[in-house]
Amino acid sequence: MALEDLRATVSRCSKCSYCKWIPLAHVKSWRFAKGCPSIEYNKFQSYSASGRLSTSLSLLEGRSSYFDEGLVDIVFKCMLDGCCDVACKVNRYDLEPVEIMRQLRFKMIDNGCFPPMDVPYIDHLRKEDNMMLESKADRGKWADGLDVKDLTQEKADVVFHVGCKLSFDKDLWKIPQTVVAILKNAGVDFGIMGKDENCCGGRVCDMGYRGEFLKYAENNIDAWKNAGVKTIVTTCSDGYHAFNRLYPEEFEFNFEVLHITQYLERLINEGKLKFTKTVPMKVTYHDPCHLGRRGEPYMPWKGEQKKIRGQVLVYEPRKPRYNGALGIYDIPRNIIKSIPGIELVEMERNREYAWCCGAGGGVRERYPEFSGWTAGERIEEAKSTGAEAIVTACGWCERNFIDAINDQNESMKVYDIVDLVAEAI
Amino acid sequence: MALLSEVYEALENIVGPENITEEPATLDSYAYQWMAELVTDVTGGSKFFDRPEAVLVPGSVEDVQAIIKACNQYKIKYHVFSTGWGPWAAVPSAGQILMDLRRMNRIIEINEQNMFAVVEPYCVAAQLQAEAMKVGLNNHISGAGSGTSVLANACTFQGGGPDVMYFSSPQDSILSIEWVMPTGEILRTGSMGSDLGWFCAEGPGPSTQGIIRGSLGGAGGWGVVTKIAIRLVNWPGPVQMPIEGTAPSYRTQLPEENFKAAFPAFPSLQRFADAIYRIYDSEIGYIVHRQFVMWGDELQAAFLRIVTDPTKQLCDIPELLETPEIQQLTKEMQRNFQFIMVGMTPRDLAYQQKVLDQILKETGGWNISIIEEPDMQQYVLLFMLKLCFKSVNFTATGGFIDTYNSVASPDVWASGEIEAGKALLKKYAPKIADCGDQAMGPIGGQGGGGVTGWEDFVFYDPQDSDSSKAAADCSDEGDRLKAAQGRPPGGMLFGLARSTHADEEVRAKKLSKSPEYNWQRKLKETLDPNSVGSGNYFWGADLSKEENN
Repeated sequence: MALEDLRATVSRCSKCSYCKWIPLAHVKSWRFAKGCPSIEYNKFQSYSASGRLSTSLSLLEGRSSYFDEGLVDIVFKCMLDGCCDVACKVNRYDLEPVEIMRQLRFKMIDNGCFPPMDVPYIDHLRKEDNMMLESKADRGKWADGLDVKDLTQEKADVVFHVGCKLSFDKDLWKIPQTVVAILKNAGVDFGIMGKDENCCGGRVCDMGYRGEFLKYAENNIDAWKNAGVKTIVTTCSDGYHAFNRLYPEEFEFNFEVLHITQYLERLINEGKLKFTKTVPMKVTYHDPCHLGRRGEPYMPWKGEQKKIRGQVLVYEPRKPRYNGALGIYDIPRNIIKSIPGIELVEMERNREYAWCCGAGGGVRERYPEFSGWTAGERIEEAKSTGAEAIVTACGWCERNFIDAINDQNESMKVYDIVDLVAEAI
Repeated sequence: MALLSEVYEALENIVGPENITEEPATLDSYAYQWMAELVTDVTGGSKFFDRPEAVLVPGSVEDVQAIIKACNQYKIKYHVFSTGWGPWAAVPSAGQILMDLRRMNRIIEINEQNMFAVVEPYCVAAQLQAEAMKVGLNNHISGAGSGTSVLANACTFQGGGPDVMYFSSPQDSILSIEWVMPTGEILRTGSMGSDLGWFCAEGPGPSTQGIIRGSLGGAGGWGVVTKIAIRLVNWPGPVQMPIEGTAPSYRTQLPEENFKAAFPAFPSLQRFADAIYRIYDSEIGYIVHRQFVMWGDELQAAFLRIVTDPTKQLCDIPELLETPEIQQLTKEMQRNFQFIMVGMTPRDLAYQQKVLDQILKETGGWNISIIEEPDMQQYVLLFMLKLCFKSVNFTATGGFIDTYNSVASPDVWASGEIEAGKALLKKYAPKIADCGDQAMGPIGGQGGGGVTGWEDFVFYDPQDSDSSKAAADCSDEGDRLKAAQGRPPGGMLFGLARSTHADEEVRAKKLSKSPEYNWQRKLKETLDPNSVGSGNYFWGADLSKEENN
C-alpha cells in the first residue's frame, strides 16, 4: 500500500504519544519506561512515530518538501524496531505506524532523497550482493573445511541461510559453524549456498530500497526452488523477518521458514539435541526486534475498511493484526532455561516491548553514534538485572552489543543462543 | 515569518544548536494536533494549527529562564508544553516559539515519610507511579491517562481524573512550586520559598498558587512551571504490579484481600444518584468512575469483550451484539459505574465491601456479574489503577470530543440529563458514532457530596469532514442547550481548543462575562508586562478600554 493510500489512516493519529513509551501497563521504573530510541536520542517530536505520521501528512499536503534540509534525517534516523507499533496498537485497531514509516521511506527513495552515507553500501550491494563492504567471493569462507552440501550444485530439504552478518563477521563465525555441527549431528539433510548465498533483502527494504529487496527476494526464491528446498533455517533475525513476513507479501512462497531457535527446539523435543554439560551463568535474554514483534508471520488479507454504527471503523473481512503478539519469545527462553546451570533473568523491557539493540533499519550503517547509544542503553538495562551476560538470537544485535561494550569498557559478555547450546552439548 | 537571525542565534546560544530547530516537517509535527480539523476558522479543516517559528528543547530551569528573558528582550512570544497531547499544546497563533520540555523529565525526590514527590515537567504519571509503588505510595493520574505529565496536570491544566474522590484533585495536592515567571525571574513557593524543602504549599515562603494555577491552569502561556512537589497516597499493593496476558489484553493479578473491582448498576437514575451520595458519605472506594460507558451504553458490553480478548476486533461488534450474553450484559450495564476498592488491610477491604453491599441493598442496585470473571477483574483493576489504556478514547473512530454535560450533582443526572445527552448524540448519528449514553467521568471529585464532572463523548472520524462538522455542531448545540438552562457548557475540550486558538479579541468577547476574566487579565498585564506568554484561553484583549473609547 503506497503512502498516498495511507493518508486517511495518518490523519487519525491522535498524537497521544503512546508510541514514545513501552505499553504503559508494563512501565516498571522511571529509567526504563521509554520505548522509542529515535525520539530519546533526537529529542524533537518529528523523530517519533506520531511525528513521522504528521510528517507524511505534511508531505502529502505539500506543506513540506521532500527536499527540505533535515527531512532525510527525520525519516531515516530510526531503526524501524516497531516498539511504537506495539504500544500504539494496545488501543488502536486502525493505525499502522511501522507500515506508514516504511512507505514514507520508499517514497523518499523514489524521490531521490536518501542519506548520503547510503551510497557506498548500496553501491556495494549492487556489485557484491552484500552491504558488509566485503567481496562476494568470500561469503562462504566461514564454512571452509566443514564439508557441507553446496546447494548450487546439489539438492537438500533444508537450506541453512547464514545471512550477511554471520557470513562476513569473522568474530561471529563460530555461530554458523556450530549450527552446521548441530544439524549434522542430528542427521538433517541440509546445505548452504556458500559464496552464492544472497542478501535476504530485508535490511535494505527497511532502509527504503524496495527495488533491491524485490530483486534479492526473487533471486533467493529461484535458487531455493532449483535446489529442491522445502525448509529455510536461518540464524539471522533480519533474514527470518524477510522470509517469514516480507517474501510472502510479494511472491508466491511455499517454504517453511524456521529461525534457528525454532529448529533447536524441534531437535530438543525430538531428543536429537541433549545438554550434557553445566553452564553456570546468570544471563538475560534480549529479544531481537525482527524475531519478536516484527517477526510475526505474514497473514494474507484482502478487504476494505468500513464504518458501522455510524462512524466506528472496522475491516471487512477481519484484518490480521500485527501487534507483536505472535512473535517468537518463549522458544529462546525455553532453550536457555533447559541448559543446566543457567539462571535466566528478565530485563524490564522484554518480549514485544523490548528496547532495540540499535543495529536495525540501516541505522548502524548510517548513524553509528546513535546506533551505539541505543545499544549502550540496552547494556545498561541488562546490567541492572545483575546478569553477567546478555544472550540474543541475531548476529546484528550481537555485533552492536559487542561494540557498545568495548566502547564503554564494560565487562558484560555477549552470547548467541547457539553459543550457549554449543557449551552445553 | 521566520525568526530574525539575531533572535535565532540568541536562542541557539542558550540551548545549543542540537536543541533548536526551524526544520519545516519538525515544526509541522508540533502543529499537528487532535481536534485541529474542527477549529476550521483557524485550520481550514486541516490537521495542522499554526507552525511555531522554532522549537526549543531546554534542559534545565536555567535554560528556561534564559529563553524567557530572551523572549522579553526581543518581544517574541513563547508557548510551552510537557507531554503535549491536545490542541492547547500547539502554539495559539503564528509568530511564537515553542518550548518542548521533554528533556526536563526527572523525579527529583520521593519523600516516603512525608508522602510527596518532586517532579519535572516531562515525568509522566506511569513513571512516578512505578517508583512510588516501590515505597508503598501512589499518585493521582489525570483522566488523560498515565502517559501524561504529572506536573502539567496539576499546575497548568484541568487534571482531574477517576481517582479524585480518594486522592483529591491534583490542584489540591500541589505543595511547593518552582515557577519561571513570565519575566524570567524564578519564584519558589511555599516552604521552598524559604529553602526549607518541598513539603508545604503555604508559607513560610510565599503562596501564589492561585495565581500560578488559577482555575484551569495557564496551558503553556503563563511562565513555565519547572518543578512541583505533589502529595502521594498510600499503596498497599505489590512494589510492582504483575502484568499478564497477550498484547493488547493485558491484566494484573493483585492480592484479593486488598483489591476488588465492582460494577455497581441500578434500576433507575435516581437510585444511581442515591448510591453516589451514600458512597461519598461512607468514604469508601479508591477509584470511582464512569469509565466504560464512554463506548456508549449500547456498545460498552461488546467493547469490553473485545478489549479483553486478543483475538477479537471491532468488526466483531455486530456479531457480539446479536448474542444473548451481550444483550443481557448490555441491559445490566445501563446506569453503571466502575468502583475500585483498595483495602489498606484485609479488614479495611472487607469493611468497604460490606458498606457497598449495604448501599446496593438500600438502592436496589446490583454488581454486574461480568466483573466477577477473573480475567475481567484483572483487566479492570489494571485499567483503573494504572490508567494505562486511555488512548482508548480514540479506538472507535480515531477522534472524540465532548458535549452537553459537565459538572453537576448526581441529582442533576437523575433529573433527565443523561437521557438528554443521549438524545443529543442520537440526533447527530450516524455522522457521529451511534453508541447511546456516553456520559463518562469521575464521581465525587468536584467538591463535596459526590459532585461529578462528566462529559458526553462524541466519537467522530477526523478525516471525514462531514463527521467532523457533525461533531462540532453537536458540541455547539450541547453548549447552547446548557446555556439555556443557565448551566456551564459541557464541551470543555472542544471549547478549549477553539478558545486557545482564537483571536485575542474573539476570545475576550467570549470570556468577558466571566467574573474571573478581568482579574486574570489584570494579573497577566502585571506579571507579563511584555505579553510574551502565548495567548491562551483565559485572557485576551481588554474590552473595557474599547468600550470606554
